[in-house]
Amino acid sequence: MPESKKPEDRVKLEMMSAAKLLPQTSATRLSDHCLDLRWSPDSTLLAAMPCLGQIELFSPAGERLAQLPEHPNGNGAIAWHPSGEWLLTYGQDAEVRIYEASFQGQPKVLTLEKAWAERAEWSPNGEHFAVALGKCVAVFTADGLEEIYRIPPQKSTICDISWNPSQPDEFASVCDGGVRLWKLGKAKPMSHFDWGGASLLSTWSPDGRWVVTGDQVPSVHLYDVKRKDPLHIQGYETKVKALAWEEAGAWLATGGGRLVTIWPCSSRKGPNGATPIQLSGHLGDAIALDFSPGGKGLVSGGRDGLVLLWMPQSTEAPALISHQEYEITRLRWSPNGQSLAVGTKNGDVFIHTLTS
Amino acid sequence: MPKRTPVTILTGFLGAGKTTLMNRVLTEQHGQRIAVIENEFGEVGIDHELVINAEEEIFEMNNGCICCSVRGDLIRILGTLMKRRDQFDRILIETTGMADPGPVVQTFFVDDDMKEQLVVDAVVTLVDAKHVWEHIDDSDEVKEQIAFADVILLNKCDLVTPGELDKLEAQIKGMNGMAKVHRTTNAQVPLEAILEVGGFNLDHAMQVDSKFLEPEYPFEWGGIFEIPAGGAKFVATEAPDLSMKLVLIPVANTGEQALADAREQAVRMYSHDSIKALPSFTLAADGTTWELILKEGTMEWPVEVTAGSYAAFTEHYPEELGLVLNGADGEIVPTLAAAYKPDHEHDEKVSSVGIEHDGECDEPKLSRWLSTLVREQGVDIFRMKGVFAIKGSAKRTIFQGVHMLLDVQDGGSWGDRPRQNSLVFIGRNLDREALNESFRKCLA
Repeated sequence: MPESKKPEDRVKLEMMSAAKLLPQTSATRLSDHCLDLRWSPDSTLLAAMPCLGQIELFSPAGERLAQLPEHPNGNGAIAWHPSGEWLLTYGQDAEVRIYEASFQGQPKVLTLEKAWAERAEWSPNGEHFAVALGKCVAVFTADGLEEIYRIPPQKSTICDISWNPSQPDEFASVCDGGVRLWKLGKAKPMSHFDWGGASLLSTWSPDGRWVVTGDQVPSVHLYDVKRKDPLHIQGYETKVKALAWEEAGAWLATGGGRLVTIWPCSSRKGPNGATPIQLSGHLGDAIALDFSPGGKGLVSGGRDGLVLLWMPQSTEAPALISHQEYEITRLRWSPNGQSLAVGTKNGDVFIHTLTS
Repeated sequence: MPKRTPVTILTGFLGAGKTTLMNRVLTEQHGQRIAVIENEFGEVGIDHELVINAEEEIFEMNNGCICCSVRGDLIRILGTLMKRRDQFDRILIETTGMADPGPVVQTFFVDDDMKEQLVVDAVVTLVDAKHVWEHIDDSDEVKEQIAFADVILLNKCDLVTPGELDKLEAQIKGMNGMAKVHRTTNAQVPLEAILEVGGFNLDHAMQVDSKFLEPEYPFEWGGIFEIPAGGAKFVATEAPDLSMKLVLIPVANTGEQALADAREQAVRMYSHDSIKALPSFTLAADGTTWELILKEGTMEWPVEVTAGSYAAFTEHYPEELGLVLNGADGEIVPTLAAAYKPDHEHDEKVSSVGIEHDGECDEPKLSRWLSTLVREQGVDIFRMKGVFAIKGSAKRTIFQGVHMLLDVQDGGSWGDRPRQNSLVFIGRNLDREALNESFRKCLA
């Protein structure tokens, strides 16, 4: 075969032999840019949310099972209850809708005040859910939809909310220059991690030790929650839009340019002083990441449309899972590790299924 | 690069008329799908428009710091909008009355996602012609709103006299010679004037203010009076300063050329030592530069001249002193008057500097010069724009900058236009001579 001069073709050719681990088993299209994909905890349902239009439910085989009404003016968030019994949707119409997983009958609806509405998450034990309401975060009970907690208005709108996986009554809010940690019932934040700049997203390490943010400037912040000790990692090419923890919390994968950077985090000092693994293969910025359950495989999606599978502990060469026409906006492994869902900028949703 | 969505940034001090203008944009049949990001009123979703109540805090600034957290919010909201399939023809962002537009404008220069999809079409600033005087000298925000503007609406013109408007417009042009100024009442201006500005248009900047590239003058106003036999007297009622210079020059007629000739003579006279003239001191048109000493109450300075035409050049606008020339039969109205760009700034040195040079630039020298300039003076430079003729390049090179951020782009073919370098700087403490001199060193 003659050697191609196009770099993207070269990448394809070099990776092709390793790309059959995860063949694409279905392809469907949402009505708009794929904002989020969420697998149900039992891996039997994939909820897919476009910017505008109906929220769709698929089987792992890609069969369309249900369509939920859109939120007028834009969808904001979807989240499965940890039990898998309910799916929550939230949007710019200020409605929270909670559907039973059978998707028969009408959802429970909670109408909130109008404010910028892009985040909603269930607490890890499923007793509560938190929604971002402009500059506030409000927390409601799962059963009665009763508001039990609200943080005071912050100086800017809330960018992200993430619950502490090890403490189901604690969550982090990202806004106005950093992260704040809140405990239900406490009027003041447990911790302020203000660095003055803008962070975009947050995630907790599985053991609840670290809160990590990807930042608007090319950097990542890791906050040691107990020691209240921040680490600032710089040197990225671009803002950091993607973060992913390995299941055991030993590795943190970060986007922020064409390289995927993986930090070892299992030592007492976390990534402080450690040498990261840097994975080269994308031709555009890596903007979607997810570790497979079990933590051996990391998938990355880029603005180049490439979906790559890495086994960072064994080899640095990636396997090409697919090369889509449009940029990859979301990657999600199913909790059982058998399926990988891929969302794109033009609303395509692909499901890949492990062959072995 | 795919077509980028234009962004209009609307600024203006509290009460200047932004809400009136926004309501017009939202209700008029202009045929465009406009996403409006506002912070003082409105709800999500109005007919074919999208209005987002973005809460004013997201636009709060941190002294123009490019690392301020507020950008994150704006970028996120715009980023979400730009993902949607129902793409907008335009985005209109209303800043708060107290806001410096700098960080908002910077957003479109500093963030890769924004740069790829959006482009600033214009910063439109509303100015309350009646009340701006209360803020223009002591409010950094007002100065910055004027300095950042591509288009300025002098609004509420029905509440002030034409003379006051002339004075205001001249002061504003002294601060920002690049902006196109419209005089409006109830913000009534064709929407094309604010929504179809076309972003970079340096040629326009040179056209709209013919004084932009001219030398600055030591006086703000000049006019020709027909003084009858029997003389006249200057009468003033206000004393905004301790004194004000004035020269009186006989001219052959009341034509524009006569005023222009006298202007050059006046420039020379202003460089001479002045004679202090207390009220009631008699003034003559004998080549003296008079320094009128201002006191409280009504002040009069008799003028002793033979009947004829005389040009007067005053350091400040006559309106500032309530200054008129009275003859035996009442006020003598000037037959011709002109405003001049002053070299003494009223406004803590917020000004604009235009530079034009023939010839071609040496690219490495130009890059070094721009880098040094933004590093050393970026804090003070609000905006800059330019067209360069680069040696070895057949195309125009255009650049825009906000504070320390620069964006350089291919400006296409020169066509019939002469290969010429044109630059505009707007900011604080700009040294025209130093900028001119340092730019000249970039020429190949």
